[in-house]
Amino acid sequence: MSTNRRELLWNGASGFAGLAVMDLLSRTGAFAAEAKSPLAAKVAHFAAKAKRCVFLFMNGAPSQIDTFDHKPALARFDGSAYKGPLTVGSNGRAVGYLMKSPFEFRKHGQSGLEISSLFPHTSKFSDDLCVIRSMYTDTAAHASGCLQMNTGNVLIGKPCMGTWMSYGLGTENENLPSFVVMTDPRGGPISGASNWTAGYMPAAYQGTLFRATGAPLLDLSTPAGATSQTQRHALDLLNSLNQRHASARGGDGDLAARIHSYELAYRMQTAAADTVDLARESPQTLEMYGVHNKLTADFGKKCLITRRLLERGVRFVQLYSGGGHIEDTWDGHNDCITNHTLHAGETDQPIAALLTDLKRTGLWDDTLVIWGGEFGRTPTSEGVGKPGRDHNWHGFSMWLAGAGVKGGQAVGLTDEIGFEAIEDRCHVSDLHATVLHLMGLDHTRLTYFYQGMNQRLTGVRGNVVKKVLA
Amino acid sequence: MTLCRAALLFSGFLPLLPAAAAPVDYATQIQPILQKHCYQCHGPKAAIHGLRLDRRAAAFKGGESGVAAILPRQSGQSLLYRYISGLDRSLKMPPSGTGLVPAEIQLVQTWIDEGADWPGDMGEIVDEKFVRGQTHWAFQLRHPIAVPAVKDRAWVKNPIDAFVLAKLEAKGWRPAPPASPRQLLRRAWLDLTGLPPTLLEQSAATSLDAAIDDLLRRPAYAERWARHWLDVVRYGESNGYERDGHKPQVWKFRDYVIQSFEQDKPFNRFIIEQLAGDELDEPTPATLIASGYHRLGPWDDEPSDPPTDRYDQLDDMLATTSQSFLGLTLACARCHNHKFEPLTAADYYSMIAILQGLERPRNGRTELDRPIGTLAELERQQARDARIAPLTAAIAKLKEPFKTKEKNWEDAIPAETKRQVTSIELQIAETKRETPDLPRGYFMEELKPNPPPAHVLLRGKPGALGQEVAPAIPAILSKPEAPAFLPPARTSRRRLTLANWIAEDRNPLTARVIVNRVWMWHFGEGLVRTPSDFGLMGQRPTHPELLDWLANWLVDNGWSLKKLHRLILSSNTWRMSKQAVPEYLAQDPENRLFWRAPYKRLEAEAIRDSILAVSGRLNPAMYGPSVFPAVQPQALEGSSDPDKIWKASSEEDASRRSIYVFVKRSLILPMLEMLDLCDTARSSAQRMTTSVPTQALTLFNGDFVNQQARYLAARLRAEAGPDRRAQVTLAYRLAFARPAEPAELRETLTFLEKEEASVREADPGNATLRAMEQLARVIFNMNEFVYVD
Repeated sequence: MSTNRRELLWNGASGFAGLAVMDLLSRTGAFAAEAKSPLAAKVAHFAAKAKRCVFLFMNGAPSQIDTFDHKPALARFDGSAYKGPLTVGSNGRAVGYLMKSPFEFRKHGQSGLEISSLFPHTSKFSDDLCVIRSMYTDTAAHASGCLQMNTGNVLIGKPCMGTWMSYGLGTENENLPSFVVMTDPRGGPISGASNWTAGYMPAAYQGTLFRATGAPLLDLSTPAGATSQTQRHALDLLNSLNQRHASARGGDGDLAARIHSYELAYRMQTAAADTVDLARESPQTLEMYGVHNKLTADFGKKCLITRRLLERGVRFVQLYSGGGHIEDTWDGHNDCITNHTLHAGETDQPIAALLTDLKRTGLWDDTLVIWGGEFGRTPTSEGVGKPGRDHNWHGFSMWLAGAGVKGGQAVGLTDEIGFEAIEDRCHVSDLHATVLHLMGLDHTRLTYFYQGMNQRLTGVRGNVVKKVLA
Repeated sequence: MTLCRAALLFSGFLPLLPAAAAPVDYATQIQPILQKHCYQCHGPKAAIHGLRLDRRAAAFKGGESGVAAILPRQSGQSLLYRYISGLDRSLKMPPSGTGLVPAEIQLVQTWIDEGADWPGDMGEIVDEKFVRGQTHWAFQLRHPIAVPAVKDRAWVKNPIDAFVLAKLEAKGWRPAPPASPRQLLRRAWLDLTGLPPTLLEQSAATSLDAAIDDLLRRPAYAERWARHWLDVVRYGESNGYERDGHKPQVWKFRDYVIQSFEQDKPFNRFIIEQLAGDELDEPTPATLIASGYHRLGPWDDEPSDPPTDRYDQLDDMLATTSQSFLGLTLACARCHNHKFEPLTAADYYSMIAILQGLERPRNGRTELDRPIGTLAELERQQARDARIAPLTAAIAKLKEPFKTKEKNWEDAIPAETKRQVTSIELQIAETKRETPDLPRGYFMEELKPNPPPAHVLLRGKPGALGQEVAPAIPAILSKPEAPAFLPPARTSRRRLTLANWIAEDRNPLTARVIVNRVWMWHFGEGLVRTPSDFGLMGQRPTHPELLDWLANWLVDNGWSLKKLHRLILSSNTWRMSKQAVPEYLAQDPENRLFWRAPYKRLEAEAIRDSILAVSGRLNPAMYGPSVFPAVQPQALEGSSDPDKIWKASSEEDASRRSIYVFVKRSLILPMLEMLDLCDTARSSAQRMTTSVPTQALTLFNGDFVNQQARYLAARLRAEAGPDRRAQVTLAYRLAFARPAEPAELRETLTFLEKEEASVREADPGNATLRAMEQLARVIFNMNEFVYVD
C-alpha cells in the first residue's frame, strides 16, 4: 500500500471523503494513477534534529553595528569621513561620516556574547544564539535583497525557502498550510508575494498568508448567509454528487484528490480558526508575549500564533517585522536610533517569549529559529548630523537558534568598523545551505528539474557553515 | 582594471623573450608543472568542470566554460594562463595552496606565446553529448511519413487515428469507446472557447463538425487560445520588483495575439512578427506591437549591478525565444557549456549577439512607449517633431528673461511677449493638427544597424570577456543549413535572420514544437511531454511518427492552426470517452498511448469564465486595457503598498473574460493564482494542476463564487419559473450541458427542501432563493464543472 493510499485512508476514514472513494479506487486500480498529494510527508535526506523552522524576518535591514556586531573601534573614528574602497550611498543618497553605535553593548550569559541594549529580553538567550556576523549578499536594494534572502536569487519568480522545505519534506498536518507567512500590519515586504511564491514549482508549495486578527486565512470563513449547518449540508451534497460522478467514470486519481481537498478545507476551517483562538492560553502566557501591551501586541500575538502553528505541525513559518517603506520598516535612513528602538521594542519581548515557550513545550528540540533582514547598514551616517544609516550588503549579522545549532557563539568577523565581512564570510546561499542542512536536506540534492537544469535554492553556490552546527 | 590589462594583452603585444633562448620544451618544462599543480583536479582521475590538462586536444579545447584553456600564441586569451597568473581577479588557480611560483607562470606564458608546441597526439576526448546530438531525433530533418496500416480500419477517421491505433493494436488494446454527443459538445466548446455551450447552442447544434467550424470562427476561440500563447511568451503587464511599474500599452500585445488567432495568421508569420516585426522592410503598427514580445519579461528598474542586469534582460529574451520556438533550454549555457545538451557557451553568446542591438526605451526608472505606424507615418511624425522643436525652444527663449523662483512667475510675463508666445503655440497646435500624434506601443527598439561586438562571458560574468563571437545559431542546429545573416539596414537585421530561419518550413524543431503544443492544449499532455524541452534531456515523443506527420501536415497546410484544430477534433482519438479500463490504467497510468481521452482540470481562466457564463454575468467586451476584479483587503496585506496596489474596476468591467484581468507580477488575482495560473516571470510550457485545501476554500467560500451563485439562482428563477425541479434541470443544462439524472434530481431536491426549511424562519420571503443559491454554489464546485468529460 503506498504512502498516499495510507494517508488517504487515514485522513479519509473519519471524513466524508472516506471509504467510498477508497473502495472505488481499490476496485479500479486507480492507485497506480493516483495524483500524489504534493504535501505528503517525505523523508529527509539524512537524520536531523530540526523538523520545522521559523524565520523572523526583520524587513528593511537592521543595522548589525547597533544590534549584534559590537565595534568599539568605531568610536575612535566617530565623525570622520570613510575613506575605504567600498561604495557608500545607495541610490544617490548623501554620505555622511562614520558614526559609532548610539546603543550600549554588554556581554551576556556564560558565553559572553555581546548584544546591544536594543534587546534586553532576547539577550537572556545569549547562550542559545549563534550569531553569524559575516553575512553578505549581492545587492543593496530592498526588492532584490528580500528576494535573495527568501529565494536565493535577486530575480523574481524563484521558489522560496519555505517552498523548498515544503517540497522536500511535505507537511505533518494537511489541515493547515505547510508554509505560513504573517506580515506586518503596516504592509508587506517590497515585492509582496514574490517573497513567498512557489515560482516554477506547483502552487501547492507556495506560502499562505495568515492573519492574526479576523479569519486567519483568505476565504476561510463560511460565507455570509450560510450557517455552519448549511455549510456542512452543502459540502455533503457536493461530496455525494462528486462521488457519483467519479464512480460513473471508473475512478480517477485526480478526481479523488480534488474530492479529498474539500474535506481538508472543511477541517482547515476549524484547524486554522483554532490556531488563532488564544482564549485558552493562560494570562501569564499572554503577558509574557506582551499581547496586552500596545507596543508589542501585534508581534506578540503573531509569535504566540507561531508557537501554535509549529505545535500543529506547520513546516515553515515566516514572520515579518516591518512593512511598507522606510521608517515603517527597519530601513533607518533618517534616524536609526528612533527606528531601531521602535522595531526592536515591538519584537524583542515577543521573540524572547517565543524562545521561552519553545523550550517550555519541548518544541525547542526540533525547531530551528532564524532572525535577520535582507542586508545590513553602513557604519556611516546618512548625511551630516543625521543619525540614519544607509544600505550595506558587504557585511551584516543574523542569528540562528534551536535544533542542531551551537548556541552561545558568534561566527565570522567584519572589519574593524563593521562594514565588510572579512572572516568566515557567509553568503546568503551559505546560510541557505546551512538551514537546509539543519533540516536534514542536502542543498545539492534538493533539486527540481526545470528549464533544462536541476534547480536549487542555492543555485550553483552554497557551503554549509560547519561552525554553526552543534 | 582586469579589462585594461586584458586589452593590453589582446592588442597583439608579445612578451619580449631573451635573445637566442631555446624554446620552452613541453615534455621537460611544462608537463611537470601541470602535473604538479593541475592534474589532481584536471587530469586522468578527475576532470572538474570538464577540463583535463593531461591531453592536448582536451586542454586546447577547454572545459565547460566553452573557452579554450590554451590558445597558441595568445596567452592573454588562454584561460590556463589567465587563471594561474591571477589576471582574472575573480578566479585564481589552483584554488588552494601556494600556487605557481612566478618563474613557472612565466614559463607557461612563454610556452603558449611561442605556439604551445605539444608534441605527440595524445588523443581527442570525445564529448558524448555532442555525438548524441548529431543523431538526436529532434535535430534531424523531417521526412515524409507513411500512415501505418491498422486492423480496425473502420476506427480510423483520419491519419491521426491510424498512428494512435497502430500503437494500441501492437499491445492488443482497444481505444476507449466514443464519448456521447452531449459530452463531445461540451468538450468542444470548452476546448476551443473555454466556455460551456449556452442553451440555445445546445439545441441548435446539428452536427459536431459544423459546431467545430462555427466555434473556430468565434472571437471566444481566439481569446482562449491567445491565453495559451501568452503563457509561453511570459506575458505580464507589470515589471515586478519594488515599484512593479505597469508596462505602458502592453495590452496591445495581448490584443495582437488574440487578433492573430482570430485571423488564423500562419504560425510562421506569427513567429517572424514577434521576433522581428520592427525589422521587416515594411513594418506596420501590428508588427511593431508584435515585436513587444521581447519586452514582456520582468524588469528591475533599480538593479544592484547594471552590467549583470543587462545580460539578465538579454537572457530573458534568449531563454524565452529558445524555449518558445525551438524547445531548447539554451539559457543553461550562459555560464559554461550546457551540462546536458550539445550547446556551448559560444552558442549562447552567438545568440546573444543576435539580440544585442535591442534597447529598452526609458527615462531612468520610467519606461517609455513609442509611436506606432508605417515607416512613412513615423517619418512624418519625426519631421513634424523636428519642426516643432525650434518653436518650443523659441517659446522657452521668450519666457526665459522673466523666469523667477515664484510659483506664478508666468503671470508676470509682459503682454507683448505673451502674445508672441501664443502665436507660436498656435503654430505648434496647427502643426499637430496637420500631423496628429500616432498611437503608441510597447516594444524594444534597435536604433543602430551595427550593435557592439559580442563576447563569450567567462563564467557568465560581464567583466570577464572571452573570445568575440559573431551572431550565429547553435552549431548543432545547422540543419538544413546555418542561415546567412542579412546585411544591416535600418537595423542589424540579425533577429530577422533568426526569425526567417526559425520560421523556415524545413527547420527541424519549429513545426514539431508547435504541433506538440497544440496537441497538449487539446489533450492535456503533448506527444512530447516536455513541451519546451526537445533536447537530449527532454522526453522522447510517445508517438514520433505522428508528431512528424503532424508537423509535415501543418507546413503543407500553410501553418494554419485552425486547420490543425479541425484535423485533431475530427479524429476519433479526440472523440474517445474518458472511460478507464483497469488493466490499461494499471499498465499505463499516464495514458502515454492515448487509450482514452485524458482527464485534465480546466485552467484557472476557463473555470472563472465558465462560472461567469453560467451565472449569466459574463461581459463579452473584447480588447483594450486590462481590468482589476475586486480583491479582498486581506489579500492586499502582503503588499508594501496595500492601499495603492490594486484599484478595483466596476463589477461590469471585472466580469469580462479572464484574459483581460491585469497580470500584475507582485499581485496575481488570488483566485487565478490559487488555481495554478502559470509562472508569469518566465516562459511557461504547461499549466500544473494541484488540489489543495486552500483552493477549495477559495472556490467554496470566496466572494466571487458566492456572488455568482446568487446571480445563477436569480437567473434560474427568472428563466425556469418558480418550480424547483425546472430550476435544477436548467442549472444542469447550463453547467453540464445535460439533463439531471433522476437520482441527481432526487438528491438535489431533497437538499433544497432541507435548506429551505432551515432558512424559512429567518428569511421566509427568500427561503427558496437562498436554498437555490447554495445549490448553485455546489454546482460551481463540482468536479464535473472543472473536469470536462
